Amino acid sequence: MKALTANRLIDGEVVFWRKGEWIERFADAELFDDPAVAEAAEAHGKNQPTVVVDVYLIDLVDADGIPTPVSYRERLRALGPTNPRQHGKQAEGGKVIAALAQASGAARSTGRVNLIKR
Amino acid sequence: MYRYDEIDKQFLADRTAEFRGQVERRLINEITEEQFKPIRLMNGLYLQLHAYMLRIAIPYGSLRSRQLRMLAEIARTHDKGYGHFTTRTNMQFHWIKLREAPDIIDKLATVDMHSIQTSGNCIRNTTADPHAGATAEELDDPRVWCEAVRQWSSVHPEFSFLPRKFKIAIVASLKDRAAVRIHDIGLYMRRGRNGDLGFEVAVGGGLGRTPYVAPTIRQFIPAARLFSYLEAILRVYNRYGRRDNSFKARIKILVASLGVEEFARQVEAEWEKIGEGSDLPDTELARIRGAFTPLPFETLPASSSAFEEARLADPAFARFVRNNVHPHKQPGYAIVDVSLKAIGETPGDCSAEQMDLIADLAERYSLDDVRVTHEQNLVLPHVRLDDVPTVHAALAAAGLATPNVNLISDIIACPGLDYCALANARAIPIAQHIAERFADQDRAELIGELKIKISGCINACGHHHVGHIGILGVDKKGEEFYQLTLGGSGAEDAEVGKILGPALPENRVTDAIEQLVEVYLRERQDGERFLDTYRRTGMAPFKEAVYADVH
Repeated sequence: MKALTANRLIDGEVVFWRKGEWIERFADAELFDDPAVAEAAEAHGKNQPTVVVDVYLIDLVDADGIPTPVSYRERLRALGPTNPRQHGKQAEGGKVIAALAQASGAARSTGRVNLIKR
Repeated sequence: MYRYDEIDKQFLADRTAEFRGQVERRLINEITEEQFKPIRLMNGLYLQLHAYMLRIAIPYGSLRSRQLRMLAEIARTHDKGYGHFTTRTNMQFHWIKLREAPDIIDKLATVDMHSIQTSGNCIRNTTADPHAGATAEELDDPRVWCEAVRQWSSVHPEFSFLPRKFKIAIVASLKDRAAVRIHDIGLYMRRGRNGDLGFEVAVGGGLGRTPYVAPTIRQFIPAARLFSYLEAILRVYNRYGRRDNSFKARIKILVASLGVEEFARQVEAEWEKIGEGSDLPDTELARIRGAFTPLPFETLPASSSAFEEARLADPAFARFVRNNVHPHKQPGYAIVDVSLKAIGETPGDCSAEQMDLIADLAERYSLDDVRVTHEQNLVLPHVRLDDVPTVHAALAAAGLATPNVNLISDIIACPGLDYCALANARAIPIAQHIAERFADQDRAELIGELKIKISGCINACGHHHVGHIGILGVDKKGEEFYQLTLGGSGAEDAEVGKILGPALPENRVTDAIEQLVEVYLRERQDGERFLDTYRRTGMAPFKEAVYADVH
């Protein structure tokens, strides 16, 4: 399972892809099971240089019924920094935020590694 | 303090207008991201994990009140109400919006500040002794020379595209409070045989992937010849530095590969060719020195009854004095360290309200002068002894009087994976946990000087290589692990620390620090700091304590 993420050009905000739009909440992100559909969305996203930068796919796993980024880095992007828990997207709270905050295990952000290599 | 003249002000205005136009053109894709990225970096604007980050230069860590108030205004208006002081004595804002960056840079220009040369392969902000102009230990005020370097190196056409970034540090006392030997060029002010002022020149220090303590390439260069000698060093580096491999592009690699003697020989040969034409004219030095004109110190007795009475009456004040207050060259004055390491808080972070308060205190009690240290603290350098109790009370009310300078909870930590796009692991929460474990100030004082420095990746912005205990965050099979080093120092006894053993998982780090401290307390002899005990005993007892469970 994958999701598509980027940073919004105008303010750097972490955003996620949902049916042709970029939205701020990971909980609302479109989930891709079909790699071809994910790659098509990625290509579409990369073709929006006035909207976003650093577009890449991230891997997700199912954590008690809630899709969660495999990578610790991506969970931090979806939540905000851990030193003050009130900053970033986590301030909003909710079920998905709680699931992300509690998720354990970490892995390299494969999509981001590809981005750096590129 | 430096003062911008009309040319400086016009240059900044032009540069900001140019950047504003570039941002507008980027937003409509007249400039691609690939084209824009180096432009924004040249203006100190990075894209990090959650937002853009703006790095603002604080020349040699010196701030006036109005400048600190402007940083507070930017924190309030354009960030989340705080800023982060870095190990390069700069300030970073971590929640910046691209569309607002030109407005911020405009605001900075109104108080003679900017974010130029805080990124890229150029000469960065010069680091100075944060006690400059206040300590009796110094031969001269190093800020005069830092300012001359700032003017010389700002948009220097020959040195704007070096093989890699370049950092200079200057101190003028035997005590090194600027980590001089981990800079590309480290300058120690010395007095020559005939009594003239000059500099010992160390070249090729640096941390990162390949850490080096800078070797001295010349014991003494007369102060009047400093700039031609700096030019010679930069020319040799510019010509022979490795541009083909960014991991090997710093001058430390060139010095190590050529050898100190050969590198020095090449510099001397280049210096011969340059001659005296590139040196700073005496008139220009006098002009710069004039900007640091003698401060209006009052003539005061060497001791203060108000200060002594407060010290006897208030144990908290007495502890603050023991750890955060230092002798001043002027009778009746003191240097006051302001710790940005409140227990459990983020090292180096300062809220807008705290910045405003420190600016007020500086204006009222410290001759309008604030310094930033490379250890992520602030200094009020010129406080009358009579006023220290009042200043302490005001700082304490704002959470700024933690009496822990140079103690175990005075920890350097880079932003790490909580903010930084390069990091492998978090650094700030590790610092928070350790500080909380050692929150008991009696115990912290019993342990004494112990410098813990934490980096979230091998780039070493948290100076872990030169921590008495260094902590490096690594990505080990996808998990956050932490490698400990012992025996490093960034001070006058500079040394790169040695690896203690295999990296530890996050939940083992604070316990390991506790075990290291217990070994030190058990082994130490009279007057020894942690570092001294380690140097005497070697690694073995420390390693045994931390990895006992493994055997």
